[in-house]
Amino acid sequence: MGRIKKKGTAGQAKNFITRTQAVRKLQISLPDFRRLCIFKGIYPREPRNKKKANKSSTPSTTFYYSKDIQYLLHEPLLQKFRDHKALAKKINRALGKGQFKGASRLEKNLTPRMRIDHIIRERYPTFVDAVRDLDDALCMVYLFANLPSTEEVPHKTIALCQRLCNEFEHYLIVSHSLRKSFLSIKGVYYQATIQGQDVLWLVPYKFVQRVTGDVDFRIMATFVDFYTNLLGFVNFRLYTTLGLVYPPKFNQLSDEQGGELGAFTLQGHGLGQEEDQDEEITSVTTNPKAQAIADALAQEEAGAIEETSQNEDSSMAVKDTEEAPVDDAPADLAGAMIPGSSDFDQALQLQVDDTPYATLFSDMSVFLSRESPRHALEFLLRSFGCKRIGWEESLGDGAFKSDENWSGWTHQVVDRPGAPSTGGSAPHDETEAGAQSAADSQQRVPDRAYVQPQWVWDCVNAGRILRTDLYARGATLPPHLSPWVKAKKGEYDPTQPLEPADTVDAAEQEEGAAQPLANGASKEEEEEEEEEEESDLSDGMQEDLSEDEDESADETKADIDETLGDLSDDDDDDSASVSSAEVDRQSHQLELEAEAAGVKPSAKKSAKNAKPSAPAKSEKAKQKEREARKEQEEVERLKGMMSKRKRMLYEKMQYGNKKREDEAEKLKSKRRKLEATKQRAGGKS
Amino acid sequence: MSAPGRGRKRKLLTRQPEETVANVVDETERFASLELDDSGSEAPSVASGSASEVEIEGEDEEDSDNEGESNGKVTGLIEEELRALKPTRASRSRRNAAGANGEDEEASDDDAEDSDEAGFEQVDENDLELNYTVSTDANGNPRYIYKEIEPGYETDDSDAPDNENTIGDIPLTFYDAYPHIGYDINGKKIMRPAKGDALDTLLNSIELPEGWTGLTDPATGKPLELTQEELEMLKKITRNEIPEEGYDPYPEMFDYFSRQTEIMPLSAAPEPKRRFVPSKHEAKKVMKIVKAIREGRIQPYRPPEETEEEETDPWTFDVWADEKPRPDHPMNVPAPKLPPPGYEESVHPPPEYLPDQEEKDTWLAQDPEEREKEFLPSDYDALHKVPGYDRFVKERFERSLDLYLAPRVRRSKLDIDPESLLPKLPNPEELRPYPTTCAAVFSGHEGRVRSIAVDPTGTILASGADDGTVRLWELLTGRQLQRIRIGDEPINAVRWRPGRDALILAAASGNEVYFVIPLTIPNMTPAVESASRTVLDMGFGHATGKGDTNSASQKIPGSTWSRPGSKLEEQGVLLKIVVRATVKVICFHRRGEYFATVAPSGQSHAVAIHTLSQHRTQLPFRKLKGLPQTATFHPSKPLFFVATQRSVRIYDLSRQQLVKSLQPGAKWISSIDLHPGGDNLIVGAYDKRMMWHDLELSIHPYRTLRFHTKAVRAVKVHPGGLPLFVDASDDGTCQVYHGRVVDDLMENATIVPLKTLRGHKVTSQLGVLDVDWHPRNPWCVTAGADGTCRLWT
Repeated sequence: MGRIKKKGTAGQAKNFITRTQAVRKLQISLPDFRRLCIFKGIYPREPRNKKKANKSSTPSTTFYYSKDIQYLLHEPLLQKFRDHKALAKKINRALGKGQFKGASRLEKNLTPRMRIDHIIRERYPTFVDAVRDLDDALCMVYLFANLPSTEEVPHKTIALCQRLCNEFEHYLIVSHSLRKSFLSIKGVYYQATIQGQDVLWLVPYKFVQRVTGDVDFRIMATFVDFYTNLLGFVNFRLYTTLGLVYPPKFNQLSDEQGGELGAFTLQGHGLGQEEDQDEEITSVTTNPKAQAIADALAQEEAGAIEETSQNEDSSMAVKDTEEAPVDDAPADLAGAMIPGSSDFDQALQLQVDDTPYATLFSDMSVFLSRESPRHALEFLLRSFGCKRIGWEESLGDGAFKSDENWSGWTHQVVDRPGAPSTGGSAPHDETEAGAQSAADSQQRVPDRAYVQPQWVWDCVNAGRILRTDLYARGATLPPHLSPWVKAKKGEYDPTQPLEPADTVDAAEQEEGAAQPLANGASKEEEEEEEEEEESDLSDGMQEDLSEDEDESADETKADIDETLGDLSDDDDDDSASVSSAEVDRQSHQLELEAEAAGVKPSAKKSAKNAKPSAPAKSEKAKQKEREARKEQEEVERLKGMMSKRKRMLYEKMQYGNKKREDEAEKLKSKRRKLEATKQRAGGKS
Repeated sequence: MSAPGRGRKRKLLTRQPEETVANVVDETERFASLELDDSGSEAPSVASGSASEVEIEGEDEEDSDNEGESNGKVTGLIEEELRALKPTRASRSRRNAAGANGEDEEASDDDAEDSDEAGFEQVDENDLELNYTVSTDANGNPRYIYKEIEPGYETDDSDAPDNENTIGDIPLTFYDAYPHIGYDINGKKIMRPAKGDALDTLLNSIELPEGWTGLTDPATGKPLELTQEELEMLKKITRNEIPEEGYDPYPEMFDYFSRQTEIMPLSAAPEPKRRFVPSKHEAKKVMKIVKAIREGRIQPYRPPEETEEEETDPWTFDVWADEKPRPDHPMNVPAPKLPPPGYEESVHPPPEYLPDQEEKDTWLAQDPEEREKEFLPSDYDALHKVPGYDRFVKERFERSLDLYLAPRVRRSKLDIDPESLLPKLPNPEELRPYPTTCAAVFSGHEGRVRSIAVDPTGTILASGADDGTVRLWELLTGRQLQRIRIGDEPINAVRWRPGRDALILAAASGNEVYFVIPLTIPNMTPAVESASRTVLDMGFGHATGKGDTNSASQKIPGSTWSRPGSKLEEQGVLLKIVVRATVKVICFHRRGEYFATVAPSGQSHAVAIHTLSQHRTQLPFRKLKGLPQTATFHPSKPLFFVATQRSVRIYDLSRQQLVKSLQPGAKWISSIDLHPGGDNLIVGAYDKRMMWHDLELSIHPYRTLRFHTKAVRAVKVHPGGLPLFVDASDDGTCQVYHGRVVDDLMENATIVPLKTLRGHKVTSQLGVLDVDWHPRNPWCVTAGADGTCRLWT
């Protein structure tokens, strides 16, 4: 016989450690522990048996995996934290003595520089692991890129976040790895596929974010600290795999003028690097000049817009050819890189893979109106291959052309109210638009498609260019659907038409049937209320054992059914008669309406047709109902023989299914109603 | 010797062994005679004292002055002070005493005299001289008596006490019994100093002597007294001050070498030349630096630029340059990704996803934490109308909290078809026949029908209801044959007596049981009628035997058997039994000779077994555990089943003992019924379930069936051999089961639910109250709280 095992020396009691114990073991303060946990990605666990893990003490606590904490003991950051604490003491002492200069010197010289690259390596042993975990990082970094600088969020952090975001976007543009995007009420969702991993992130709309008091920015800042590091390394890796220099060249001037994406210039590695650089630098510097000239010309000839001068056009064309390679980074790069090198191959591979995504907007020139979200559109269009994107100068630097009237624009994104153009041909509208508002001032340019921003998103998600007339200015847009929802069996799919069985009149029938039933129920209730609580069996409390009261609806039904023994037939007749009466009434109503509107024989006909068909249909429905009831009974029969545990499990599953079905049913019925009203409206008009 | 007694205060006590007389030699004003407490124990030691000893207690002011001076030099800790103080004081006082003695009595103490003289000699003369004298001791041997060493500056041991107690570090209490308190270096006894008596202490307390501390010097046993100076010094030491009197720790500094040019300089030497000649050494040093600057080794100082440090990006290398995939650890739980947005989150969702007014209101009324969705789907017809999402930061923050604070656990998602959980049961169609449809409705009762019974021939149905009537119906048609009004109280139970020879119906109303011979029914032939009458009347012969003392019922008369009265007799009610409490259940023994009544509120009279032929009542249970609910007889063995609230107890009637106690596990049993085979028992309970007990298997149920949403009120097994049983519940339904019992002991009974019979209306939470089978056919009859009975075929 072996030794008697002592309690609490093995298993769960040993594997888990409470937070207090962990903090004591590490000898750090709780905020430091929090930072360490965030950096190292250590999270609490839920032990399988809490009592065992807590050594039989009952209060609820947070548990960490013991080995995680043990591992933390050797963390180099821990020493940095201690150094920091020591420094804080020194600075405090200096301040107490009034030695402000000394304090600042201490702070400057002794502040420990924390590097967390080893942690990134540790947490993500491979690059793919890092990409897999990029969702939260991107969301957070994008949020901070859009925050105003405050005391808690220093300007530096924001600038860094903005830079990283733009760099990442540049990568996506070059590699054409953006896949889907979605306009949600929270912000814009983007999904990219990087090295086979789907990365989904959310970018807020450009508004001032509401910050409530219960948001602790210290925690957020720790996360951002980690995420910016992670994203920096990821960007480095992404750029280098494409053969690009990281960090890309950043033009401060352009950024200050709102260049955003345009403030960065990508450079390739390799032999042609120097030439590239020169070219790019010159191009960047010349770009605003050219723009200025173009703008000046445009202003001069503001009066005569319709006849855009030939020479200007040609000059533009010349510029176009000049500038094309600038924006066309990947093509440029491919030229610059040495064929045969691994980088080159990879980049080529990427491009070959992504052809459908790379060419979606490639033969379009898009002008973004002032009111459209420029950054999101620019990013989206460029990542799907659009080379020529222009916007007004007031929107910022970096436009291909800021002249709205340039004849080369094939599409213009507008987001302002206005009458939708009736056809694809613009000339009809010109007068209308001119009459409508002088503020618009710009007349419609022929051969240019005016679309609302949603068109771009829908095109991206559909993977093809959609009809522009549906998205014309002022038009009622088709619903914008999330590209990630895959309709499962039994769930409602708004893209599919309603099933033929659930037609409009079925819905109406339902509506009609609901009313008498409800009346019956209320009557029944009244009756019950009238009945006073009679003395029960003299046993008294025996009824108490069975508590829940049954609702009255079932009872009434049962009552009706069972009086003559045969359940179904009687019931069928009953409700069938009700429904037929209802249908009669409705058809009559329809006839009256038709007469009032002006006689339409078809309506009458349909009403008459409906009359004989209704009972048949109800018969069918009854049949269905009967079967359903039978099935229900069978299930009940079987359920009674299950063990309690199994039954609970079964009921839980059924509950989930039922909830889903109810949800779908609710949506379906809503749609039915909407369609019915639409039909009615259509019929009336 | 220093001059003794210059105006000193002295307390002197001389004690002679022969005559204990205190000879006070003192011219001062203070006189105190201290009497030692001369107890018997003291006497021998006193007697044994070879010589009179003089002890002095007291201090003279001068001495203390001297000591104060001498002590002034001593700086150190208290102990050292005390140690230093003691010997000098003691020696001095002793010397004083010796001097005094010398004046008064001649050579009272030789030793002291000698030593004193020797001491003087020693000091005065050379060291070469012997420092001892030889004398003879009591035995006539030579005894060397050393002179006392006078501590002086020339002696090594300057603080050696001259009259030290040599007993060592033992408590003085060891000497409590002796007049002395130790021995000095010469082995002489150091006598205990005299202690003051009560009066003295009182005087002392009134007028505290100078320097009184209340402490006793442990070495001498005398009260330790300190002078004012000593006290001051101690006080200073305790305050961490320098104990010396008048010491100034911060004396005025006199600046000898000040910046002021003195009129009279300290040195009158002229300024040396070197003060006026440039230093060659320095020139050398300067040249060295100049050279270094010229050579560019030393850059001229430039103040550090106040430009902000350009923090270089840390990401200048590929972290994943040599990546190696790491196998996943089971304890690694990656954070779950957020689900992608659905249709309802769109800025322009399909219209059916938009909430209507009602949904909007409920959403707004809900607490933000209870909301299923954190946003309301809304529709914007243009993108520029979409507002910012005000919970964005909050949601991000919550996500980050989740990432580092939420405990993670791996849960395996159960991905099974719920249908696969359902048990496989035979198709009920294969198990026909069983009752499925309602064939007849017996309506007529006003009030709940509490009990029904189908007669043994299977043609007549008897029912008892709240309206106090017992009605007889034709089973197949539902026609009412007879209506017997028994009383105003509800009829709780109706049962037919088993056996076809006589047709007798028992009905319980209140605490009375009536026996009815229905006269109007078609199969009541005269033969049957007479047989029935004989059965009922047989007992009247025994009625006289009431005086029997042997039966249990006689001690406390449990019942009275009588005719019910002419009015009822006309209707066929021929016998009435009155028991103590309201009878709820009647059950007949198979042969019809005995029947049992159960009255749950009757306490010791709750269960009664009646003998019909003798009109006799027995109360088998003096006391029952729990409230009895129902009872039944075993069909073949002399066993009696009594169901209390929680258990079913089986008694052997012949041996009068408990055989078994079944534990169905229900909270409150409503009814029980035995399978005709006698080995299986079904139990219905108010807590919505029904139990099937195999009596040979276990005391726990073989199968528990939960088919009802409310209490099960009655259970019944088909008596005619068909494998059917049924229960009736308050939810208005009855469930019919197939329950086949095989003779083979190895095989368990097969139980299959067959059909739910729905038809009775639930009135005031009561549904079906009783159920009974047709004796042969697969038909059953139910009694409902809605006042009807139904026949199911």
